[in-house]
Amino acid sequence: MSFPAALHTEWIKIRSLRSLVGSLLAVPLAMAGLSLLICGTLGRPVPDSTDFDPVLFSYYGLSFGQLAAIVFGVIAMAGEYKNAGIRISLAAVPNRTLFYAAKLAVVGGAVLVVGLVASLISFLGGQALMDRGFGIGIADPGALRAVIGCAFYLALISLLAAGVAAVLRSVTGSLSVLVPLVLIISFVVGDVSQGGGAADFLPDRAGQRILLQHPSGALGPWSGMAVLVAWTALAVGAGWWALRRRDA
Amino acid sequence: MTRIDVQDLRKEYGSTRAVDRLTFAVEPGRVTGFLGPNGAGKSTTMRILLGLDRPTSGTALIGGRRYADLVEPLREVGALLDAQAAHGSRTARAHLRALAASNRIPVRRVDEVLEEAGLTAVAGHRIKTFSLGMRQRLGIAAALLGDPSVVVLDEPSNGLDPEGIIWTRELMRSLAREGRTVLVSSHLMNETASFADHLIVLGRGRLLADTAMRDFIDSRIRPRVRLRTTEGGRLRALLLGKGFDPVPREGGLWEVEGARVEDIGPIAARDGIPILELAQEEATLEQAYLDLTAGEAEFASASTPLNQEA
Repeated sequence: MSFPAALHTEWIKIRSLRSLVGSLLAVPLAMAGLSLLICGTLGRPVPDSTDFDPVLFSYYGLSFGQLAAIVFGVIAMAGEYKNAGIRISLAAVPNRTLFYAAKLAVVGGAVLVVGLVASLISFLGGQALMDRGFGIGIADPGALRAVIGCAFYLALISLLAAGVAAVLRSVTGSLSVLVPLVLIISFVVGDVSQGGGAADFLPDRAGQRILLQHPSGALGPWSGMAVLVAWTALAVGAGWWALRRRDA
Repeated sequence: MTRIDVQDLRKEYGSTRAVDRLTFAVEPGRVTGFLGPNGAGKSTTMRILLGLDRPTSGTALIGGRRYADLVEPLREVGALLDAQAAHGSRTARAHLRALAASNRIPVRRVDEVLEEAGLTAVAGHRIKTFSLGMRQRLGIAAALLGDPSVVVLDEPSNGLDPEGIIWTRELMRSLAREGRTVLVSSHLMNETASFADHLIVLGRGRLLADTAMRDFIDSRIRPRVRLRTTEGGRLRALLLGKGFDPVPREGGLWEVEGARVEDIGPIAARDGIPILELAQEEATLEQAYLDLTAGEAEFASASTPLNQEA
């Protein structure tokens, strides 16, 4: 049983399902589309406000992109459990660790690629559309870090989602945990640039520190990303444990 | 030649025992029918055999190895467990291609098995548009993908049309003729009788019988002869004297329990009794099976509420 063969299988599985192709393409479409729209229409600092961050501003659509990444990760993993289809998959690849690793590698890899595309379009297009004088270039401080960091952020979020889905084995069940955890709480608590408190350590808020040009507060860009990695490792580890322990 | 060896297998779900100290072997070169009512433990045993469920104790080996230790399992064991399990939104071809890729089976095999299963015309259609019979065909196609020496099919004729049933029967027989090991579960007796050479019968997770099908029937059901004669009274007296007990049936027919045509024919001929019709009534697998399960009093009374197929 070879890892490349298992990867190939997982790739065929993804590209042969419309729901997976669709949610994967929705990452750049939703994220870059909304980012460009907002930058083109509102791309200037609010008067009297000092916290305008031109880098973060071009990632306005990230919430929608990450929602698509979550849906993608959940469907890719939980979809296996629909009608016990996992039995067919595990009969073909009985080494569960290998199966799981291949699935995650393809999910994370695919999101990393589309995330990078989404990130580049959002940043370059967004900066170009902003009011003259506010847009910055990729060589400016924090810009390249944000462009690459955003792609990794999306990939990690999709892996987090896949890990949760491997534990819960259901699309709706997984989304009902992930959407509040990653999307709703942050909306309720407030803007990511307003640091402070335990909410900073939520996976999305910690991971999005890398999008700030000049982050301040408890978590820097890389330590924030490390917190997200820890969350992802927790979910992926729990999924691995569940997959190995349970009857298929 | 690859044997399946199940040794002292046990599987418990909480306090229910789905499989109970089960030991049997499945030999190559013949079709082994795996019989038992729903909930007898057939599917559980098959899932354990394929490494999907973990046994509470005991082993289930294929060619002396655990399924999980096979390097490219689809090339050695082909299985149909549940025709509904294939993802409905994929096309039949994509489903098989994904399976083939994992075991480095050449893509041309996908088209070959689609053709063999009569699915070439619908290969590009989504599986959710398939009837149950077509899904069964797809499941069997998937089982054949790696040209395996062991084939395990769980209720393959479920939902098939008459043509499909004949196709699976011929397929199983030809797989066995090629020297493969074929294990087929069913709860349909007449269906099983049409393809199986050997039987393994389960009840409540325990082994009830492991025997050649012919022996199974002959050992449980006494043979019976049906005859028609112009001199019923004379023949009856004659046969009573030889220890047989002919019983008159409607239409001038007689039935003789526990007799074979070889017994009756010569007796009648010796005394010049004209015989208009003489036929052996073959006992069916169903009769033999019901006889077996009736003997299992505990089994018969408790088999209905027990269902661990899920």
